[in-house]
Amino acid sequence: MKTIAFILITLVSGAIAGTILGLINQLLVEPYIDQAIAIEVQNTIASGEPVDQDEVVQYRLWQKGGEIVAGTILGTSISALFGIVYIYSRDSLPGSNNKKKGLILAGIMFLVIFLIPALKYPANPPAVGDPETIEYRESLYIGMLVISGFTALGVALLYRRLGQTRKESRKIIVPTIYVVIIALAFVVLPANPDEIRISSDLLMNFRIVTTITMGIFWGVLGILLGSFWDAVKPHETRAPKLSTV
Amino acid sequence: MSTVNTQIVKESHGLPKIAIGVLLAILLFGIFVVGYDQGQLFSLVEGQKAFDDMWTHEFYHDLRHAAGFPCH
Repeated sequence: MKTIAFILITLVSGAIAGTILGLINQLLVEPYIDQAIAIEVQNTIASGEPVDQDEVVQYRLWQKGGEIVAGTILGTSISALFGIVYIYSRDSLPGSNNKKKGLILAGIMFLVIFLIPALKYPANPPAVGDPETIEYRESLYIGMLVISGFTALGVALLYRRLGQTRKESRKIIVPTIYVVIIALAFVVLPANPDEIRISSDLLMNFRIVTTITMGIFWGVLGILLGSFWDAVKPHETRAPKLSTV
Repeated sequence: MSTVNTQIVKESHGLPKIAIGVLLAILLFGIFVVGYDQGQLFSLVEGQKAFDDMWTHEFYHDLRHAAGFPCH
């Protein structure tokens, strides 16, 4: 095991994929965030507070730059987890090369740690969240994330364990267990308490486009790590052997 | 008699615990900073001012929304 090489390709893949996410968001997501910020500014003006429009423009440019930096950090962080999961699941993943295996695992992890939590607690643009409820909403979101993530880990271990005794039936049993637990969590966990006061078009377009860009991020991450893996082969250990003939 | 050097390529899945620890630390720190920090990080240096400024919250604001983290 080439540990340093493994850590390096894991973090570099994530940093690149995350930076790409930040850049793509500038084109696809920012128009919706700008619309939502304009609503927030209008609400502030309507409440009688003065707003310096030039300052808002400068501030928004700064925040858009921050989004790219945040993409790099988020990508690197998520990839740290992706790398750990990949190394332990690589042998079980279908696919003739690491690029395909990486893409398949990225698809599974996109589903488990982004899409499933997002179906219960979808992304919202600015002008929706109530500052008073942020800690409560963070707890709910983390709760859903943890339930989905650890349930997936549990069923993956179960899938491996059933490999000798129930090779065929495990393909039905294991996903069913995951779906039942997630369905229970959807019912038991409370809804987002915030009232939505923006147009449903803006809300839905924002949710759809952010799901697409997060999907692109995961896809790029899987392909990049797989490609680096095929090139570097960090799972191999070269042990020199001296023999006398 | 001659000496021959050969190389054996072994496959190993044993990821050292230290590597897992480093990666998990990067995961938790990065997710906290980008997705959840409301001034806690800079408050270690700036004290209460960091909670008023919420610099990381503001700087990473757009990605918080775009990546699905709760925000306001």
